[in-house]
Amino acid sequence: MRLLVIEDDPLLRHSLSEGLREEMYAVDTAEDGVEGLAKAQGSDYDAIVLDGMLPGFDGWELLLRLRREKTTPVLMLTARDAVPDRIRGLDAGADDYLTKPFDFEELLARLRALIRRSSGAGSNLLELDGIAVDTAAKLVMKEGEIVSLTPREYGLVEYLALHRGSVVSRTELYEHLFDENEDTLSNLLDVHVSNVRKKLGSSFISTRRGHGYSIE
Amino acid sequence: MSHLFQSVRWRLLLWYALILLGLITGLCLLAYRLADNDRLSQIDREIRNFQGTFFRSLFASRPLSKKDTPPSLDEIRDRLRDPGEVSAFPPELHALFEGGSGGNYLAFWDGDGTPLFISANAPAGLKPPVPSKDGDTRYISRDNYREHHKTNSSGISSIIGREISAEQSDLLRFGVLLALGGGAVWLAGLGGGWWLTGRALKPIDTIGRTASRIAAGNLDERIEIADTDNELDRLGHVLNDTFDRLATAIERQKRFTADASHELRTPVTIILSETQRALKREREPEQYREILQNCRTAAERMRALVESLLVLARQDLPGPEVSHVSCDLAEIANGVADLLQPLADEHSTKIERQLSPAPVSGDPHSLAMVVQNLLSNALIHPPAGGIVQLKTMANGSGSILEVSDNSPGIDPEHLPHLFNRFYRADSARNQANGHSGLGLAITKTIVEGHGGKIEVQSGRGSGTTFKVELPGQ
Repeated sequence: MRLLVIEDDPLLRHSLSEGLREEMYAVDTAEDGVEGLAKAQGSDYDAIVLDGMLPGFDGWELLLRLRREKTTPVLMLTARDAVPDRIRGLDAGADDYLTKPFDFEELLARLRALIRRSSGAGSNLLELDGIAVDTAAKLVMKEGEIVSLTPREYGLVEYLALHRGSVVSRTELYEHLFDENEDTLSNLLDVHVSNVRKKLGSSFISTRRGHGYSIE
Repeated sequence: MSHLFQSVRWRLLLWYALILLGLITGLCLLAYRLADNDRLSQIDREIRNFQGTFFRSLFASRPLSKKDTPPSLDEIRDRLRDPGEVSAFPPELHALFEGGSGGNYLAFWDGDGTPLFISANAPAGLKPPVPSKDGDTRYISRDNYREHHKTNSSGISSIIGREISAEQSDLLRFGVLLALGGGAVWLAGLGGGWWLTGRALKPIDTIGRTASRIAAGNLDERIEIADTDNELDRLGHVLNDTFDRLATAIERQKRFTADASHELRTPVTIILSETQRALKREREPEQYREILQNCRTAAERMRALVESLLVLARQDLPGPEVSHVSCDLAEIANGVADLLQPLADEHSTKIERQLSPAPVSGDPHSLAMVVQNLLSNALIHPPAGGIVQLKTMANGSGSILEVSDNSPGIDPEHLPHLFNRFYRADSARNQANGHSGLGLAITKTIVEGHGGKIEVQSGRGSGTTFKVELPGQ
């Protein structure tokens, strides 16, 4: 899962992105409205965390512009908790709203809910034949036993599980598993896929040659 | 009951009733007195006429021998003792001889008190008049009678009187009518007064109700004022102006509180987020150190903000401890420049001091804060390697402090808001430097608290100059 954090305060930006990375998200950051909009338009993020007060143009303006071309789920963070501000944010296209200071766990839960909703899943527990993916606890279980996966492997399983039944291209997988700072070789993806197959069974991920991967 | 008399309307009405009662009573008494006097003088005139008629008749029936001279006293005595036949007198005088009650009566006495003539209709027990100091002739009201008492120098004394009970009852009736009429006028006046006071007090009532609605929190409401210029409308204008100013002050206070809490939210969010992240899993000491460092930075920002807020609150409401003393702005500026030298070195910026004595009267601590805010602003903002000029000088009426830098300048759109609380021309950078957005607002508040003024000049490429003018000692 790849997220974009748009926040002007350097400390808060750092804290949020580090916290989210530790939760196995790939995180990009932007420090003002202009950079944020460019990044949000440039890639398909799974969700965007957007601060309301930004230099350049503010979060509401950014949302209006972004919504002309993308429906990426957006969680707005703002220091303003007046009802008109919240209405303005939601009407501009925000999917959820959090008022500073917020609880980090709540931010995580709301992000999970946003991603779940946009992928059409109903709950945090995704059941596949004999294998369960718990997106809240970030755990994968095979026949009731917890399987130890690296963050990247977990990300791969979670993304494919959320897009169950459809073929996910290598580019798409690559975009959603690695953040902007990682300049890895694309064959690293094959390494992760083969590791997952070793741990969860070779038929768990099927390869569509020339198209990508899928979980049935 | 007591609250009834505290009501302005009732008190006005009470006073009005008392004054009106006094006036009407006075007027009625005057009218009664005039009517009384009028009647008495009419009666007196009748009595005199009657005396004349009597004497003419007395001598008309049997004329005296000498026609051209007035009768002598003895002749008068004789005639009175023996008036003659009743039939010789006109009919209106017959009652004098035939008795009965009512009408005019006469009585004459000689000097020794022996009666000369007492008419038959005179009231019983009539006595000769007693000579009084007031003179020989006077009118007296006695019971139902009005009498003319007269004592001649020759000794003959007379009483000519008349029964006046009819006139007296007339007068009584007139008095009662007057009292009733006066009472009616008083009651009508009270009604009018009640209506008038109600009408006069109605705008006050409206003002009071509007004011209480405003006090209850409806700050946008104002007193409706008619387009006249009477006392109440002027009061309304004064109150509306006051409400305007109060509403502005409350609005400013509200915005300030909102801004302050807004500014506090971000560092609190950082501390919350960092501590929750830290506690979520076991970490290397290096990571803990970094997280603690971040928390500390956020806490320092909060401290700076809280301190700035306190300074502002103190400047807004100066306590008695703020004392103004004579000091030299140049000395203060020099001290601050020394203090900020490390910051200048950090930005490789040179501070150029042009400090000539500039005596002012003020609080040295606050003035140092002014210099510090302006100088640190100038040191932080321009690109590193610049020159910041710090000047003080005395001019005719006071002293001047100038801080100029050779920064790229401030956008003209920001200039009008520069001294607003929490205004930042560039939010991300300033906050990272630990600036609360209150520095210039504090500076302005302090300068204005000293009776001075501050202005800024900035143009693209020509640098920025802050100029503070303070009144002299």
